[in-house]
Amino acid sequence: MQYEVIVVGAGHAGCEAALAAARMGATTALITLQSQAIARMSCNPAVGGIAKSHIVCEIDSLGGEMARNTDYTGIQFRTLNTKKGPAVQAFRVQCDKDAYSLRMQAVVRAAPNLSVIEAAVDGLQCHSGRVCGVVLNDQSVIQANTVILTTGTFLRGMIHIGAKQYPGGRNGEPAVPNLSLQLRQMGFRIGRLKTGTPPRIRKESIAWEKLSVQPGEEPPSFFSDEVRQEQMFHVEHCESGSSLESSCGRSGQALFHVEQSALRPWSPGWCQVPCYITHTTTETHAIIRENLSKSSMYGGNITGTGVRYCPSIEDKIVKFADKDSHHVFLEPEGRTHPDIYPNGTSNSLPEDIQERMIRSIPGMERAVFSKWAYAIEYDFCDPTQLFHSLESKIIEGLYMAGQINGTTGYEEAAGQGFLAGVNAVRKCRGLNSWTLSRTESYIGVLIDDLVTKGTNEPYRMFTSRAEYRLLLRQDNACFRMLPHAKEIGIVGSEVLNRWQRQAQEIRTEIARLEKTASQAGTLAQMLRRTGVSYADLNGALPLDSKVVEQVEIEVKYAGYITRESQQALKLQQIDSQLIPNWINYDSIQTLRYECREKLKRLRPESIGQAARISGVTPADIAILAIVIKRGEGTR
Amino acid sequence: MKELADTIAAIATAPGEGAIAVVRVSGPASLEIADRVFRGHAPLPSRRPGGTFLHGHVLHEGQVADEVLLLIYRAPRSYTREDSIEIQGHGGSAAAQRILRAVLDAGARPAAPGEFTQRAFLNGRIDLLQAEAVLDLIRARSDRAAAAALDQMEGTLSRVFGSLYDRLVQVAAEMEATLDFSEEELPPTVLQDVVSRLQGVEKDAAGILATWGEGHILREGALVVIGGKPNVGKSTLLNGLLGIDRAIVNQTPGTTRDTIEEQMVIDGYPVRIVDTAGLRDTRCEVEGEGIRRARQYMHKADILIYMLDASQEIDEDDLAAMKAKNEKNTIIVINKTDLPYGESIQSYMTKQTAISCSLLHEEGIIAVRARIADLLRSQSACTHHSVISERHRKILVMAIKEITEALIVMRSEDAEVSLAASHIRAALEHLGEANGRIYHDELLQTIFSRFCIGK
Repeated sequence: MQYEVIVVGAGHAGCEAALAAARMGATTALITLQSQAIARMSCNPAVGGIAKSHIVCEIDSLGGEMARNTDYTGIQFRTLNTKKGPAVQAFRVQCDKDAYSLRMQAVVRAAPNLSVIEAAVDGLQCHSGRVCGVVLNDQSVIQANTVILTTGTFLRGMIHIGAKQYPGGRNGEPAVPNLSLQLRQMGFRIGRLKTGTPPRIRKESIAWEKLSVQPGEEPPSFFSDEVRQEQMFHVEHCESGSSLESSCGRSGQALFHVEQSALRPWSPGWCQVPCYITHTTTETHAIIRENLSKSSMYGGNITGTGVRYCPSIEDKIVKFADKDSHHVFLEPEGRTHPDIYPNGTSNSLPEDIQERMIRSIPGMERAVFSKWAYAIEYDFCDPTQLFHSLESKIIEGLYMAGQINGTTGYEEAAGQGFLAGVNAVRKCRGLNSWTLSRTESYIGVLIDDLVTKGTNEPYRMFTSRAEYRLLLRQDNACFRMLPHAKEIGIVGSEVLNRWQRQAQEIRTEIARLEKTASQAGTLAQMLRRTGVSYADLNGALPLDSKVVEQVEIEVKYAGYITRESQQALKLQQIDSQLIPNWINYDSIQTLRYECREKLKRLRPESIGQAARISGVTPADIAILAIVIKRGEGTR
Repeated sequence: MKELADTIAAIATAPGEGAIAVVRVSGPASLEIADRVFRGHAPLPSRRPGGTFLHGHVLHEGQVADEVLLLIYRAPRSYTREDSIEIQGHGGSAAAQRILRAVLDAGARPAAPGEFTQRAFLNGRIDLLQAEAVLDLIRARSDRAAAAALDQMEGTLSRVFGSLYDRLVQVAAEMEATLDFSEEELPPTVLQDVVSRLQGVEKDAAGILATWGEGHILREGALVVIGGKPNVGKSTLLNGLLGIDRAIVNQTPGTTRDTIEEQMVIDGYPVRIVDTAGLRDTRCEVEGEGIRRARQYMHKADILIYMLDASQEIDEDDLAAMKAKNEKNTIIVINKTDLPYGESIQSYMTKQTAISCSLLHEEGIIAVRARIADLLRSQSACTHHSVISERHRKILVMAIKEITEALIVMRSEDAEVSLAASHIRAALEHLGEANGRIYHDELLQTIFSRFCIGK
């Protein structure tokens, strides 16, 4: 069997990659060590958060699955940053982690053109610089035109608990030993990163009455267009006893009710579950300090670089020594799941110390552990060896997405996975690659940062990484992604037409407000006043709530939005100046040596990308621009 | 590499009479060109090391064009970091033109405005701020101005802008943090701190902007305007001042017959001195235009010299005209003190700002000159980081405006931090432009189109 696309690894990147490829009509194989681990939430049971939320909305607008999967399996919904401006507003959803995985398994199984293969991949098969399949650990070969590696923490994964260390890809799962060694032999630069996860505590062992409660928000805010539409029109009722597959609904990707038997009638966001907040104590800190040398991180066992933005509790106590308390969020792992996830207590201490440390936290005095916290080190592949399409510059037809590229987070992984999936299919069909720009999406910012600057620590998305934050809001993701969604063709035409119509209505209505006079100035000027909403306007029209929301934001923040649009245009201009293939950096003697070496190594695709490489100066760029201009003149 | 590989030439000295004129040549063929045009002792210039200078003649079409000194620079030890030569000939444009023509005929091409500096910049010899300073160096008309321009080339201004930039980056980082992290993760005082630090940066940026006056006087010369009624002796004063200093650079008649502008140096400060049409009611259209221009000049003058006739009474026109400028930038000159005084003039005689003189008898001119020098000194009180180009001033003004707007947002009732952060990003972008820390193609083009030919 020859596949068009093989995806190695079925985590959050792998699922999006495989579904995108299959939905575009490519024969696709998703290879995973065990199919019930598909879309497993290895760490926290939540999707979204500041900036990550934006990525989820973009994935949804392009035709990906993460947003829907989150909405249908969410058990607590919250909106963050509500008072800091629309650009940074974000959703965060606690999911039932088993339901999340089960629903995604069902969606994957129901997808046309998509086969799930349970196997361990040992290496790649390549022929004259092009990938042509994967080799399994029984040495059999599966042929493919393109391969996408979404291997997460499995490449030479090493789990650390205190002084103990053993190979593993994730808790209780084996590591993949050979693949990254082969990549290194092929010439890829391989590095080592570290991440970690807190212990899991039995729900019944926690004294909830001592803790402050953090309820969900009513009505819930959803990531996905589909679920928002469902909410507006009707509530799905579901027959009990229907199988997972059949309840996947319309074309195998729509409504799915994992909780159907427990709760009827059921709709997404129904019956939310609270989280609880507690905090570390001086006793907690003392325990950690006394035992720091026993931690794998501080005992010297770990060489990989950790996540600065999601520090282990040892890190917090060492680096913020003046704070005598840190928050700990107790998040349910599911509606009926027996465990809670004590967010903020990630560590690599020995088991007995973990137990003492956790039990010094109010509410957890009698904590019963169901899983120990651990740190994990794994191989990643320097992402500057990739094009913006996420295809490798070294092996044609080989794509990489997710933690193998040095990122952290389900959302970052899913965004890359989707883009890699689309590009693998386009490669098979002889189409040019499909990329997203920094000026139009967070996925674009993410990928441009990775392939231009690389990373030496797990890369997490922040709104501060985006230059055009007012343009890249989560509320306008579907309008930003509309031309791309059309080109990719996964999102249904009915939905695309609705977005198209709404986009038109927004433009028309803004134009009308700008030129319609009212008592004091135009309607647009009225709307810009503090506290005035669209409905307050004299002559407000009965428009869709989505249209009204966009009109309000676009009008109120028009000054900021216009300025960023102008800046974005400048960036697009230098990004559209492509660096031709004939360029020979060694022949440009006027470039400084370090600069030549950097450009040779990174091979930027455009003048704009070259300008963003650290250490490349404006003078270097001016020279480069001159060389290209002159070269094109003589060619 | 066509643009960088060919060899360019231009006259590097300002047009007009001077002791010497310099023709500069830069590019890989520089020494070859020297071999072709220069006749002196063996060996040929191309066989000589960098840093030598040779006496000889430049030949053009078999004729001696000029007696010259030839200076040899070898890459990278030259202004452009390319092979270069400088030919020093006799002053006056004719000789320089002959040398340039010889060099061009020998294979160089005429340099575009600012092209030498562009090469220096592209070859990494100087950074963007230094390149800007070079422009000011060329335009500086006196030693004092040259010293300020050199100061900037040493990087003083780079450091000052860099420090503002760095401090703002620090503040921006904190604001961004409040957007990317929840309140629980941050100290509760974080935003208060941001406001006070922003105010600090705003204040310091405004302080740097205040040094703008000095920069403008050093670069363009102070505008000194002589005003007054007809026949009070304005032209006599002008001639007297010029006579003392004998520093006429050139004489530019104004666009109307009644305004004359001269350039001179007073105590090392470049000065543009303007003699205006006498102020009076007139029905003559041409004279009326001259008077209108005179009022404009008096209004924009850095220093106004208002002349009174001691024998005449002061009328309302005089009073109004003397108020055109702030009193401390106005010098009142009372001429014709050898004649009987008018009644109203008496009170002015005792004023500190008034200088009495009798120009007809060449009395008082030195006092006027000394007063001008005093005012120039006080207007350009020396600081280490003078903002000496219009571009820098604009950048500062824009950056301050953004910081101020950010503060307005932060102080408003429902402060949306993401909006304030947007202003700070814009301010950073402006400041970054001054340091060349952000790349914009058009920025480079704008700067280099401003450079005059030769450097």
